[in-house]
Amino acid sequence: MGAGLLLKTQILRGAWPKMERVIVSMQDPDMGIKMRNQRLLITVIPHAMTGNDIVEWLIQKYSISEEESLHLGNLLVKHGYIYPLKDPRSLVLRADDSPYRFQTPYFWTSSKWPATELDYAIYLAKKNIRKQGDLIDHEKDNYNLLHKRINHTWDFVVMQAREQLRAAKQRRKGDRIVIDCQEQAYWLVNRPPPGALNVLEHGPERRNCHISRVQLPENTDYYKREIECCRKAMGRTRVKSSICLEGYIKFNEQYVPHDPIMSGCLPSNPWITDDTTYWAMNAPTVMTPTKLRVERWGFGFSELLGDTLGRRQLLEFLKKEFSAENLSFWEACEELRYGEQARIADIVDSIYQQFLAPGATRWVNIDSKTMERTLEGIKTPHRYVMDDAQMHIYMLMKKDSYPRFLKSELYRSLLAEAIMPPETKKRVFPFMRKQRHSSPSPALLLPTGEPEVKAEDQSKVVAVPMES
Amino acid sequence: MVKEECKALLDALSKVAACYRHMVLTIGGTSDSQNLREELKKTRQKAQELAVANRNKLTAVLKDKTVSKEDKAEFERLWVIFSTCMEILEIDMRRALELGQEFPLNVPKKHLIQTGMSGGTSGVAARAMSVQNMKYEAEHNIDVVDLKDLENEINQVGEMMYEMEMKVNVPQWTVEAKQDPGAELKSTISVGASSIGMISVEENKSFCDISKVLAGIIFSAVLIIAIVLAVCVVKLS
Repeated sequence: MGAGLLLKTQILRGAWPKMERVIVSMQDPDMGIKMRNQRLLITVIPHAMTGNDIVEWLIQKYSISEEESLHLGNLLVKHGYIYPLKDPRSLVLRADDSPYRFQTPYFWTSSKWPATELDYAIYLAKKNIRKQGDLIDHEKDNYNLLHKRINHTWDFVVMQAREQLRAAKQRRKGDRIVIDCQEQAYWLVNRPPPGALNVLEHGPERRNCHISRVQLPENTDYYKREIECCRKAMGRTRVKSSICLEGYIKFNEQYVPHDPIMSGCLPSNPWITDDTTYWAMNAPTVMTPTKLRVERWGFGFSELLGDTLGRRQLLEFLKKEFSAENLSFWEACEELRYGEQARIADIVDSIYQQFLAPGATRWVNIDSKTMERTLEGIKTPHRYVMDDAQMHIYMLMKKDSYPRFLKSELYRSLLAEAIMPPETKKRVFPFMRKQRHSSPSPALLLPTGEPEVKAEDQSKVVAVPMES
Repeated sequence: MVKEECKALLDALSKVAACYRHMVLTIGGTSDSQNLREELKKTRQKAQELAVANRNKLTAVLKDKTVSKEDKAEFERLWVIFSTCMEILEIDMRRALELGQEFPLNVPKKHLIQTGMSGGTSGVAARAMSVQNMKYEAEHNIDVVDLKDLENEINQVGEMMYEMEMKVNVPQWTVEAKQDPGAELKSTISVGASSIGMISVEENKSFCDISKVLAGIIFSAVLIIAIVLAVCVVKLS
C-alpha cells in the first residue's frame, strides 16, 4: 500500500498545474461555484462553500460520476488548494454542508517554491506567541529542533515573527482570521503531523518523466529530429487492431483448454492436493506424453520445436524423410547463438564442416545468396553469423516438413497413444482427506519410470468419466 | 552608537520585509487590486533603500579592524540576520513576480481566487512606509507595467547578495542566537533577549499561584463560617 501511495503522489506532482486550472475555473462568476458567507460570532467572512457544492460542481463541469468527483475533490483538499473551515486538521472532502474555502495562490503547493525551514520556524514562533506557549506536541518538538538547526538566524526568526504579527494587526478582523486559517492549512499540508499522509513525500527516485522533464531547446535541430522520428514512425508496418484482436481472441480460444489455471489440470493441482502426478506426467522427458501436450504440437511449429519430446519425434519423422540434417543444422545454430563465447570459433567451424562445406556429410540445402553471405560471414565468426541460414532452414521445415508431420502416421499414433489422466476423486469423508504437509520439491523425485506406476495407482481410485 | 544605529536599521528592514510578505500573500486573492500592486512596488523600493543602507553600514563596521572582539561577534550576528532577511525578501520578490504574471488584473477572463479576504492592505503598507496614510498615484495598469521593473530589481538584489557573500566573510555557524526557545513569549519591548525578562515571567507565574492559593483558602474559610452559622441558626430556632 505504501509503495502504491508513493507512486500516486509522484504522479500527482505533475498534476499540480492541472489542479490549479481547476481551481481557477471554479472562480468564474457565471460558471463557477456558488459562494456563501461564513458566519462567526460577530464577523461575517465571505467566500465559503460547502463540500456538497464542490462535488456537484465537479460533476457538472467535467461530466463525471459522483465517486470520481469526490476523489478529485479530495485530491484538491489534500494538496492544499482548498481547506476545510470546521475541522481544519482533517484534510478530507465531505460531501455534506461542511464549509470549505480556497487557499491563496501564495500558499499553493509548488515544487518551485518548497516550504523552507525558516518559514516554518517563523510560523511556529508566531503560533507560540499567539497561543502563549501552548503548542501541540509535534510542533513543540519541531520548534526545539529548528532552534538548534537554524540557531544562527534564530534571532531573525523571533524578530520576523513579531513583525509579521504586528503587520497583521493592520488588517480587519475577518481578514486576520482568514490569514490564520490559510497559514494553518498550508503548514498542515507541508509539515503534516506524524502519522498523517504526506502528499509531498519523496519516494525512491524513479525515472519518471513527470519529475525530470528536461527542457530541450526548441531550435531547428530539435524539430529536425522530431520530423525524422515521425517519418520513421509512419513508415513502420502496422496491423489493424481488428485483425490484431481477432488473432488475439483465436490464440486465447485455442489455448484455454490447455491452461492449467483456466481449465484445471488433471489429475489435480499439485499446489492444492500435494499430489505431484501432474508435474511428473508433464516432465520434459516422459515415456508417454499427455494428450493435451501432443495436441499442442499441432498448434504451431514453435510449439513442436520447443518441446523436447516433440523435437525428438520430429527428428524421427525427418529421418524417415531423409531430411534430418535440417533439424540438426538448426540445433547446431541454436547452440552457436546461445553457447559459450569461447567456443564460438570452434562451433562455427564444426557447423561448416558438417553442414555447409561442399561435399559435407550432412549438407543442408540453402539458397545460393544466403550461402554466399554465410560463407563470407564465417571468415569473421560471431554469435549471429548463421542467423540467415538458420532462418532459411527453419522456414523450410515449417512450410514443408511440419504439415507433413502433422498428417503422418507417426503423429496420429502418438495422438492415439497419448494418455489423459483421470481426475482424482475428492474423498467424501473429511477425516479421510489427505493431510496437507510440506512435501519435498517434485524436481528431486522424478525418475522417468514413475508415471506408469502412478498411472496404476490412479486406477485404484474410482475413475471419473472425462470430458472430451 | 554604531551598534544602535545598525540595530535600528535592521529593525526597519525586518519590519518592511514582514509587511512585504504580508502583501505578497494577498496577490491573486480577492483583496488584490491595483492599489495592492502599487503598495508592493513602493514597499519593495523602500526595502531596497534600507537594504543598501544596512549593507553599507555593516560592511564598513566589519571591515574596521579597530572593533573589539565582542563587538565584532555582535556585528557578525547582525550581518547574519541581515543576510537572512535579504534571502526572504528576494524569495518574496520572485514570488511576487510569478504571481503577478499569473494573475493580471485587467483581463476579464482571468479570475481572482475567492480567498475570503475583503479588506485592503493599506494599513500594512502605511506601516511599511512609516506614513499615516498611503497615497495612490499610479496608472491603472500598474500590475503589468511594474513587472518589468520588478524583474530588474530582483536581478539587482541577486547581484547585491552575491557581492555581499563574496566581499564579507562571515561564517554562519559561528553565530549563536541570543534568544532561547520561547524567548518571544515575554513582553516585546526589547528585541534582544534578556534573561531578566525570563525570570520576571516566572516570578509572575509563581506570584499568581500564591495569590490563587490564598484566595482559595479565604473562600473555603468563608464558606465554612457560613455553614456553621446556618447550622447554629437552624439549631437555635
